[in-house]
Order: sequence, then structure tokens, then C-alpha cells
Amino acid sequence: MTTIRRFCCNDLLRFASVNLDHLTETFNMSFYMTYLARWPDYFHVAEGPVMGKVEGQGELWHGHVTAVTVAPEYRRQQLAKKLMNLLEDISDKIDNAYFVDLFVRASNTPAIKMYEKLGYVIYRRVLRYYSGEEDGLDMRKALSRDTEKKSIIPLKRPVTPDELEYD
Amino acid sequence: MASKFGLAGGIPERRVRPIWDAIDSRQFKIALRQSTALLAKFPNSPYALALKALVLERMGKFDEALSVCLNAKELLYKNEANLMDDLTLSTLQIVFQRLNHLDLATACYEHSCGKFPNNLELMMGLFNCYVREYSFVKQQQTAIKMYKLVGEERFLLWAVCSIQLQVLCDNGGEKLLLLAEGLLKKHIASHSLHDPEALTVYISILEQQAKYGNALEMLSGELGSLLMIEVDKLRVQGRLLSRQGDYTAAAKIYQKNLELSPDDCECFLHYLGCLLEDDSSWCNGANSDPIHPAKVVDCKFSHLTDEMFDSRILDASTFVQKLQAETSNNLLRGPYLANLEIERRKLLYGKKNDEELMEALLQYFLRFGHLACFTSDVEKFLLVLPLDKKTELLEKLTKSSSSLSTVPIQVLGQCITLWKIQELIGNMYKLPICELEYTALQMTEMYCKNLPLSKDLDAQESMHGEELLSTACNVLVQLFWRTRNFGYFLEAIMMLEFGLNIRRYAWQYKILLVHLYSHLGIISLAYDRYKALDVKNILMETVLHHIFPQLLVSPLWVDLNNLLKDYLKFMDEHLRESADLTFLAYRHRNYSKVIEFVQFKERLQCSNQYLVARVESSILQLKQNANDIEEEESVLERMKCGIHFVELSNEIGSKSLTFNEDWQSRPWWTPIPEKNYLLGPFEGISYCPKDNLMEQRETNVRKVIEKKSLLPRMIYLSIHSASASIKENFQSNGSLSDPKVSGELKYLLDCYAKMLGFPLSDAIEVVVGVSSGLKSSGAFGANMVDWLNFAVFLNAWNLNSHEVEQPDVNGCGSFSWNIVNSLLKNCILEKVRSMESLICSPPDDLPVLVNMVTEPLAWHTLVMQSCVRSSVPSGKKKKKSGPADPSVSPVCHAIRYSIQSTRGILEDVAKWLGHHINKSEDENLDIIFSSLETNGQDEGPGQVFQALGTYISTINETELGVRTSQALKSWSPIDVARKLVSGQRVVLSEFLQICQSKIKSLQAIQQQMAQV
Repeated sequence: MTTIRRFCCNDLLRFASVNLDHLTETFNMSFYMTYLARWPDYFHVAEGPVMGKVEGQGELWHGHVTAVTVAPEYRRQQLAKKLMNLLEDISDKIDNAYFVDLFVRASNTPAIKMYEKLGYVIYRRVLRYYSGEEDGLDMRKALSRDTEKKSIIPLKRPVTPDELEYD
Repeated sequence: MASKFGLAGGIPERRVRPIWDAIDSRQFKIALRQSTALLAKFPNSPYALALKALVLERMGKFDEALSVCLNAKELLYKNEANLMDDLTLSTLQIVFQRLNHLDLATACYEHSCGKFPNNLELMMGLFNCYVREYSFVKQQQTAIKMYKLVGEERFLLWAVCSIQLQVLCDNGGEKLLLLAEGLLKKHIASHSLHDPEALTVYISILEQQAKYGNALEMLSGELGSLLMIEVDKLRVQGRLLSRQGDYTAAAKIYQKNLELSPDDCECFLHYLGCLLEDDSSWCNGANSDPIHPAKVVDCKFSHLTDEMFDSRILDASTFVQKLQAETSNNLLRGPYLANLEIERRKLLYGKKNDEELMEALLQYFLRFGHLACFTSDVEKFLLVLPLDKKTELLEKLTKSSSSLSTVPIQVLGQCITLWKIQELIGNMYKLPICELEYTALQMTEMYCKNLPLSKDLDAQESMHGEELLSTACNVLVQLFWRTRNFGYFLEAIMMLEFGLNIRRYAWQYKILLVHLYSHLGIISLAYDRYKALDVKNILMETVLHHIFPQLLVSPLWVDLNNLLKDYLKFMDEHLRESADLTFLAYRHRNYSKVIEFVQFKERLQCSNQYLVARVESSILQLKQNANDIEEEESVLERMKCGIHFVELSNEIGSKSLTFNEDWQSRPWWTPIPEKNYLLGPFEGISYCPKDNLMEQRETNVRKVIEKKSLLPRMIYLSIHSASASIKENFQSNGSLSDPKVSGELKYLLDCYAKMLGFPLSDAIEVVVGVSSGLKSSGAFGANMVDWLNFAVFLNAWNLNSHEVEQPDVNGCGSFSWNIVNSLLKNCILEKVRSMESLICSPPDDLPVLVNMVTEPLAWHTLVMQSCVRSSVPSGKKKKKSGPADPSVSPVCHAIRYSIQSTRGILEDVAKWLGHHINKSEDENLDIIFSSLETNGQDEGPGQVFQALGTYISTINETELGVRTSQALKSWSPIDVARKLVSGQRVVLSEFLQICQSKIKSLQAIQQQMAQV
């Protein structure tokens, strides 16, 4: 079943097998619920959830993908693409954002490859972003409002977490 | 925080900022010094006091913090000047909340709002207080006041949500919904609505009153444009129309929805339901469990004539064909699953279309047979086929697979699917042993053969064919079930450990290993594998069941304590912070989330596992401290002498419980913790009806909580009863035992006996019968530990009441002591004798043995300790002598004998444990490896194990890649076997330590008794 619908609290109890996956982070409750309380449009579910938010000011007004994952049984069916497209659509059409971005562990090659296939480019490297240890990659995809695709011109130097505009 | 400052309670910002900075950087000592200085300057400032209280609370000085807070509150109340700011109140609120005094925070806000009735900020603070207290009526009243004051839409919606919560959570009457509707209607007439969520709430209010027409009108009017996601809007429209009974219109809406998202299977089920004028999907939706939804949607057809049914089904088929034709994405399963659903409905209607359904399944297999989700996709369709057709289908699928794709990954996927289908339809349980052995071998060989396919995958990604080892494990465990030959079981362990060596993140292997090790009684290894799953946060609620029940009956108290502590901390934290998150949803105008959060909090609060954990955590503390009566009494005091647990025991029958566990990930042989097929004889389980199992589980959980919740109180009363009995015996001042203790203990014994299925007098007869040898311990059935507990408490009660005495013997006081002593001795030593070999026979008896020692025996030693404490003359070192010498009284004799007897039992257990712990490693390794030897034959266990060995000796590094090759080379079966042996030693050593500390404590009271 690949019905995509809004995520609800009970879904937290339905996705044990997704969260047991090594590459899927199980956040604390206030994290999930803050997203639900603030950006319910950015929290959907198919065979696994996609969660995100919209934030920023001026030309930095953007959608942010916080996490996306698909249950092991349903992988390799382009479901993550569907979920990402939905979030991009909401950022583009409803919130009129300039771009969508996401952070990924520099070591998570499978995810980086997938995002690249979905049109994301590495915008910048964030040094020791993950618990002060591993570098993160800030990947971006421009939306229709950013006609000149200014938002995705890669930065030449890496940044530190303190330099991030939004975190 | 700094930006919030300004002038707080009349104190300049520059003076308070350093204090907040110190708090934020956790420099509490500095913060305390500064806040004390501030208070000296502003002694009458409630804000200065609130700040100091905050610092004290953070430092863990809770009593002081509360007292300072109460001073601040008093000052606030006295405050004649108009200094009533939200900063002071919110700071006080934080401290009161952390000190579990929400009521005091609310009182402060109520007082302030009374004084300044038009202050919106204070009213919002008060509303927030009511949200924290879940006082929905007061929330509503406050929100209405705010709405009246400023006329903002959001405050009206706050009130409406509060009304809805009264209806949903407090069983408020339907008139309340009418009130909410009226309020919204009036507001819309004058101001319209601006938030999409406001419209959603309005629609749900109308829907709850079955005013579907009104809701639809609202949706199709101007306000409908608030819902910007088209599919969302269509879903609501379809639902409202079908609930209204307007199936034709609803079907059209769902059709439109499917055209936009053809893969939406849920939508297709609604569409088909509407075509067939069947509201089952809605009725079920209301009653079914949202966490474990039924796989199959019920269907109703009786109202349709044959022609109507045919024509509607034709409509559906035509539409589905159109969807299929328009689908360019060959990964879209929805339209093809839809076709299967149509065939299923036809079959259920009585169209005898087995062949068509099979053909549709075959077509689905040809298209999607290689996908990992194929089996779960088709499960509900296979269920409606008769047995012979299922087998026929399997043959057809097998035949067709040979002509399918030549892409290796797809071929592999199809092979796995075929095995999974065999498993699903129960075919595996009918195969002869030799074929099963061959199947397991084939699966393993296929896994190895296909390893090169994953050469380029990242180490963190799941591999192609990873499932093969899980399915092979299922087969091997079945072989063990059928033959009782442990070789298969060990082979399964070896194989999964082999798999983990290659992919260390494969959680499916880890879960299987948790259960395999648990079944062997090697809980230390099971727990290691469980820990490797990195279970945290909400996963604890859903996944804990894999280890929790086993750990509860193990001697690994430190691990159990950590597990319980982490789980309870998570749950309690969520229950505490949930209200603040609800308020966040109010603030961000996501009203539907407000309702959802409150209901979710209730769901977690009623979690069966949470209740069990709370009870068990207390019992664990009692077990851990049972060697020292003073420590035990402090523990009991902290749990209010067990009174709350007795209340829980009384209420549990009618309490609503939720079951949030994820059962899907459990292995087939133990679908719920209460059920372990491997403990019984082999019986084919082609299909296990989970619903019945769930009922069984619910009944069991209620019984466990009901029974276990009585323990703390019974222990408490037993200690008192024992000491009172001694005082009665020894003191000549004529004081009698406390009749209340005796009366209550008798009442609880009566309850306990009923839980064991007997009236008190009959239960006494049972324990007397078994202890005297007239009945065998088999009379206790599976509840041996409970019966022994009963006997222990019975003795404690009898010490005072003397109601249980040996016939024809006049109360010498030792009869009930003897009952307990001989029961403990017989039952415990009988268990020990039955467990000669440990590694190769599953010691499901070990948990019972551990429980007998750590529960009834431990409670019995507490009774003895209590007696001894009361017998030992305080401050006198010399023995009394003379005719009234208690040391020669029958009571003393009984106590001395009991101590000696209990010590003897423990020494026997310790000896047995020592024997097993000291067994040479080689001896154990020999047992393990000899069970895996095939002796050159093509039957029996060991073939899979041997195949793995053969494969490793022939690996090709270029084909496999460096990583996999290295992993294979580092695989060492002897290490796994050593781990098994040492894991078992860990468990036995922990148990030995428990026994030894009990022996020591008994020695101590023996010495004390010598002074009497």
C-alpha cells in the first residue's frame, strides 16, 4: 500500500521496522511533536515518513527536509522520491519558497547518491555538524521562485555549524 | 531569555541577566549567589524569589525551592501595587511544574487574572496552566473570555478544541458539540474563517454530529479553498459523501482522487466500497485498532442484486484497466493491487472465480514477484483461496518463475518470494524433514552464491538476498520443533551470526538471535543483541517486548534495572512534556494536532507495558533489597507500603489498556510473549489467527498486573504480621497482634487464592496437600511461583491467626512454617534435578528456578528476618534463661529450622550452579560441535553449517569485493560457540551471586538467633 497521507502520532507506533534500520534516526518525542505542532503539512507518510519544515527570511525562505526514510520491504521502488517530491511541491506551491535543502552525513554515500538523482546539489560542507564529529553536507534544490538558481551555487569553502543561518 | 527581560517585577534587566546567563550555562552555585544578592536588594520582589527558587530547584534542593516559591506566591497575593507580570508568573510556573505542583502555578495565574481581568497575556498563561492540567472545561471558559476580549479567531478555536476534548476524553455530552458549532457559525457569519485548520475542526465538529450535508456544503463553498492540497480535500469530500450514504457521488470523488494518485490503495478501497454501497471500511475505521489495523477489510454484499453487483464490478474493472493503461511508471503497484481486490470481492460474493483470482495473482507475480513487499501485498488475497488452490497457485508461480527475468537481482527476488509464499500458506509445515533440510540448505547456498551482487553496495545498506538467512532460520527452528534435535537450533544461531559478520546492521538477524538466545536461557547474549538494535525513544514502547519478559525472569538485575529505568524515564518524560507540546500546537493554530496529542498521551498512559513496567520496577527493588529487612522497609515506605498497587490490582479489570507493541517483527514461534510454540509438541501452524492471540495477551496482562500488584502490600503485611506474632509470643504485657494487619492479609490471601482459581480454604488444602506429599507439585500447574508466594504469605498470616494447624495437634506454631519449608525445598530441588545438561536442552526451567529463589524464597527470608528482629532482645547480649526462655519455645525452634532449611536449599542450588559454571569450556564446546556434525551423511543437522564452511574455503575476492571477503575470512564458529558458553556462565554466575548473598544473609540471622 502506498497511500501518502499526513503523519499522525499513532504512526510513531507503526513504524518500528523503519526505525530499527541503522540509517534511520529515532528522534525524541518532543522533536517529532514539535514538527507536528508547527509544520504538519511537512510531515507525511507512505511506507515510512518524510518530515520537514519551512523557515528563513527573504531569499533564504526555504523548505527543509529533516528526515526521509522508507521501510526495508518497500525500498527500490522510488518511494523516497515520491515523498521528497511532495515536500518540494508544498514548499514550491503553498509556501512559495526559493529552495529546498537537507543535511546528510558525509559518509552516507547511498543517501547522497539518491539526493543527487533527485536533483539536489552539494551546496556546502558543514564541518563537524553531526555531534561535533562527522561533517555534514548541505544539499539544495532550487524551486520555481528562484528563477536564476542563485540558491544552489555551491560555496567554495566549508562552513562551521555556528555559521549556519538556520539549524 | 534576555530579550524577555525589560523591567521584571520592577527589577532592572542588567541585574537579572547575569543570573539567567549563569543558569543557562549550568553554573548554579554562581546563580544562587547572585540571586541571593538580588533578593537582599529586593526582598519583597516575587520575581527575585522566583529566580532563587528556580536556581534551588536546578540544584536539586526541592524542599527549599518549594518553600521559596510559596513565599513568592504569598507576596504575589499580598502585592497591593500593580506589579503582576507574566515573567514572574511564568518563572514561578516553571518551578512549580518541575516540583509537581501544577495546582499552585494555576492558583497564581488564577489570582492574577482575577486581579487584572483584561490582561490577555496573563489569560494565555492561565489557559496554558489548564492545558497542563488537562482541565478542558476551564480551558474552554478561559478561551471564551479571551475571544470575547479581543475577538480573534484563534481563541475561539482554542475554546472549540477544549469542547471537543471534553466530548472525546471526558465523555462530554453531544450538546457541547452543538455549542461549538453555534460558536463557529456565529463567528463565520461575522468574520469568516482564515485558518485551514479551523475549517478542519469545524468539519470534524459537524461530522461528529453526523451533519455530513452541512460539512459538505462548507467544503464546497468559499471556505473550501482554505484546503490547498487537492487530494486532501477530495479525501474529506469522499468520506463525508459516503458517510452520508451518497455512494454514487462519493465514488466519483474517489475516482477523481485515484486519477490524481493512482497508487493510493486506501483510496481504491473506499472507491470500491462506495461502488458496492458498502460502508464497512468506515465502520471498521471507527472501531479498529489504529496501531495494528486489520489486514483484511470486511465486505457486505447482501443488499446488492446479482446484476447490480456485476455492473458495479464492471465499472470498477474498466476504471482500473484505464488506470493501468495510463500508468507509465512500472513500479506503480496500486492499479494492479486494485485488480486483485476486485477479484477478491467477486470470490467473497460467491462468483466462484478462484481461477481468475489465481490468474490475477500470477500476473501480479510476473510483474512484481521480485519485490520484497510481494508477499505482504498478496497475503489477504491468498487468504480467501481454498487450500488446494493455494498449492496449485504455488505450483503455477514456481513454473512461471523459470521463464521470467534473467536479471540476477530479480531472479533472486522471485526465489525469495516463492519461499515466503510457501511459508505464508503453511506449505513449509507439511514438507517432510529431508525436504525441509534441503530447503534450508538451498536458501543458505543461494545467499552465499548471490553475495557478489552486493559487492558495490555500501556497508550500511541492506544486501540483496539478506532475507534468505531469516527464512532459513525459520526453517531450521521448525526442524528443531519437529525433531527436538538441538543441532538445528545451534545451526540457526551459527548461520545468523555468520550473516551478522557480513552485515553488522541487519536488525532482522539481531531480533531472531534475541529470541534464539532467549530460548536457550542465555539472556546475557540475548540482551547484547537487543542492545545492538539501539532501541531508544518511542522504539522502546514498540520493541521492548522482544527482551522485557525474558529479562524479568532472569538473574540479570542490573540490566533489567537499566532497561526499566530507561523505559520509564522515556514514558514519564513524555507524559510530563506532552501538555507543553499541546500548547505549542494551540499556539501554531494546528488544532487537529491538539486533539491528536491529548489522545496520544492517553494512549501511552494506558499502555499495558508501561503499567507492567511500573509494577515490575517496584518488585525488582523489593527483590534486590530482600536480604536486608531495614532496606526493604525503606523501599516499601517509598512505595506507600504498596497501597497504590493494591488499588491498581482492584481497578485493572475495568481499566482500559492499550497495546502498542510491534508484533510483526517477532519470529513465528513466539508471536506474542505468552506463546512459544517450541515449548509444546509439533503442530502445523499454517495460519495463526492473531486476533485470538491478542485476546489471550490482554487477558494475561490483566491477570499478571492484578496478581503482581498485590505483592508489595502482602510483603509489607507479612513483615508486620511476623513481627507482631513474635511480640505476642514473647511479651508478657498482654499486647495482641494488630488485628488490622491480620484481617487485611487474610483478605489479600483470599484475593490471591481466587486469582489462582480457588477459594481460600481450597487453596490452603492444595498447598498442604503438595507439601505433605499427598499431591504432586503438578497441582500447581504453570503457576508454581505464585503458589509458593501464596504459601509464604499464608505462613506469615498464620503466625498470628493460627488458623492453619495440623489436625490433632494443638497449635505448636510450626505447621505452616513446615509447609513453606518443604514446598520450597521440594519444588526448587526438583527443578534443579530436572536440569542436568544446560546447553543442549533448553532450560525453560531456569527462569522458574530463578523466580522461586528471588520471589517466594526471598519473601520467606523476610518473614524470618522480621521474626528474628523481634525475637532478639535489644540491648541485651546475654541469653535469657528460666522457664519463660523463648529460645526453647516452639516458635523459635520453627524459625531456626526454617533458616537452616532455606540455607540448605540455597546451598544446594549454589552447588549445582558452581558445577555448571566450572564445567570445562572444552566439554561444552564438544557438546555444541558434536551436535553440528553430519558424519558424512546427507541428513540431520549440520548441513547448513557445513555448507557455510565449504563456501568460506572457496571464496573469490575479486567477485565478492574486499569488505565481504574479509568479513567471511574473519568468521569463526568457535568464537560463536565460546560466546554461547561464556554467555551462559554470565547468567549462572549472576544467579550464583544472588544465592550466595542470600546464604550470607541467612548466616547472619542464624547468628542473631543464637543470641535469643
